Amino acid sequence: MTSCLDRGDTAAGPGGAEVQRICSDVEAYYGARVAKYGATPLGVDWSCQATQSLRFVQLLKICDFSTPFSLNDVGCGYGALCAFLATRCPDFGIDYLGVDLSKAMVSRARRRFATTDQRFVVGQASPRLADYTVASGIMNVNVGYPRTVWEDFVAAMLRDMRRTSRRGFGVNFMSDAATAFDTPDNSGATRLYRTSPGRWIPYCENALGCSVETLDNYGMKEFTLLLRCHENSADPPLRH
Amino acid sequence: MGSMIKDSTTLEILVQLNKRFDAESLPEMVELQKEFGVFSSKHSLQHSFALLGIVPTDWSERKRWYKFLEYLKTYPSDLTNVNGHDRVIKAFKDGLEIERPIPISIKCHSAVEDSRVFTEEGRPVVFTLERHLIVSIPTTPGREIRKQAAEVAKKRRAAKKK
Repeated sequence: MTSCLDRGDTAAGPGGAEVQRICSDVEAYYGARVAKYGATPLGVDWSCQATQSLRFVQLLKICDFSTPFSLNDVGCGYGALCAFLATRCPDFGIDYLGVDLSKAMVSRARRRFATTDQRFVVGQASPRLADYTVASGIMNVNVGYPRTVWEDFVAAMLRDMRRTSRRGFGVNFMSDAATAFDTPDNSGATRLYRTSPGRWIPYCENALGCSVETLDNYGMKEFTLLLRCHENSADPPLRH
Repeated sequence: MGSMIKDSTTLEILVQLNKRFDAESLPEMVELQKEFGVFSSKHSLQHSFALLGIVPTDWSERKRWYKFLEYLKTYPSDLTNVNGHDRVIKAFKDGLEIERPIPISIKCHSAVEDSRVFTEEGRPVVFTLERHLIVSIPTTPGREIRKQAAEVAKKRRAAKKK
């Protein structure tokens, strides 16, 4: 499994080694969280199940539920989205693949949710092309890297999601106005990445060839970008 | 609260609740209520607070906290034929679903003075500028419970001696 950057695509981002360092630190961070808090929202840095679910509601607005589809869940953690989908749309056919950097998370996800239609892999990006990709909270905890380096990482993740999504993808960010309760537990604000829609919309439109819808009216100090893919984008999607 | 959970846990829970329903976090709670019906007569207060992660950090206290929430069903309230448990649910539900929600505060009052769960509107602390919906829970402080238990034991010992 490789990302754009791993393949040497460094046009808008750091080299592969830098990405690997970040991935390694992110894995260590979430490995420690899940060891401390278990397979719970706190284990993936959210305050509670309710806010975690509200984020899923927003992200899944990218999906067309009129027909079955395939879905990549990048940064799937312990598989909370599977539980949410089982409650929200129990009889709907979704071919789900959860991807996470943390082996400990994926191990817990497999134990709880693995079926023929729900699979999990360890990695940075999805190894397959799916109709949609969602990613909740993966851009928030910058594990101590300078903002510019972290933004290169964010760009790399967005490119990966674009490459592995046929129809569209959804991702959320903490708003730069955020100071509220529901922020990841950390020792200093420098570990959190906060931004505004304006920082990423031009990138997604111009570099990724997506049309962008912003959701920022769901009561939380964050926003969700819904990105719909155009076939003739500059960075063509992965083909089987 | 009081006899059922530690005073320090009561304080911790009050801080958690009052933070989650203060003016800054209110839009989030309103949205959660709209989307999921977090507070509803269809499920228990234990379920609602578990969803919101309103639980003691001390694991040994969690069971007692949930037991206390169930025990609220034995409390009276300021509404006829509505027990304390259901009154708290109704207060949160109504407070979050009205057209212009205001912050919600939880406080404790002396069970000796008023044994009912009740609600009122006001300013829960002097530095608050906004009006809050205040949900007040009757409580007997832990020290009072211990004092009462000691007196009962003393009387029992005295009766045995006779």
